Amino acid sequence: MKNEPLIIERTFNASVERVWKAITSKDDMKQWYFDLAEFKPEVGFEFQFEAGTDEKKWLHECKVTEVMMERKLTYSWRYPGYDGISFVTFELFPEGEKTRLKLTHAGLETFPSDVPELKKENFEFGWNSLIGDSLKKYLEGTTPA
Amino acid sequence: MRRDVFQAIADPTRREIINIVARQSLNLNAVAGNFQISRPAISKHIKILTECGLIVIKQQGRERYCEANLKSLSEVSQWIEQYRTFWTKKLDALEDFLNKEAAASKKTVNKQTRTKSSKKLKRK
Repeated sequence: MKNEPLIIERTFNASVERVWKAITSKDDMKQWYFDLAEFKPEVGFEFQFEAGTDEKKWLHECKVTEVMMERKLTYSWRYPGYDGISFVTFELFPEGEKTRLKLTHAGLETFPSDVPELKKENFEFGWNSLIGDSLKKYLEGTTPA
Repeated sequence: MRRDVFQAIADPTRREIINIVARQSLNLNAVAGNFQISRPAISKHIKILTECGLIVIKQQGRERYCEANLKSLSEVSQWIEQYRTFWTKKLDALEDFLNKEAAASKKTVNKQTRTKSSKKLKRK
């Protein structure tokens, strides 16, 4: 039955230390994720960011719930004013020189289905172009390690 | 109160009920027989599931059978697919970033090493 969390695994050609920095350092996160005012990998740390389409930005509200240095990071992920709460977990596994990242996004089914902007528009038009195209273009043309 | 497929599957007991009746249509007693919790509690869950459109109650003789209506679950996978797309793109971007960083660090090895060792001091 479809209520398993969303899980994506990816192996990066980088050390656990570097991947951890990329997912927890504000300056690094800005390069591939979101431009946060502040980020601290500490339980209880709260942060917000806006993402969405040009017409409508959605405020995302997150709170760090679990930190295991260079191993695991979990934060809640919700939309203030709307039902539902989800949790995003990054887990890092060293594999020789490389690092396997397991991303788990649980609780997506708790989000309301009657807010169209929270679904389709948000992802297909807004974020995709933001993260898929602009960032990729910005980062492209670099040689792998 | 909100009544949709997300509400329906937000509860583990309801998810299990869907699992059970998806395999075969059962009457209420048979469904309740799979659980430790009380029959009225199961009955309430089934009521919610019918209101959410995931279960259809069919009268057969004196028995009322619960039948799964799984069509509405496609709504959920659509929802998850959107996040899958989102995270896939984000991880693509992360990969690009890490590669770019590695390439840049070749040029400024000393600076990179310094940054790394300072990060090691970070608290748990």
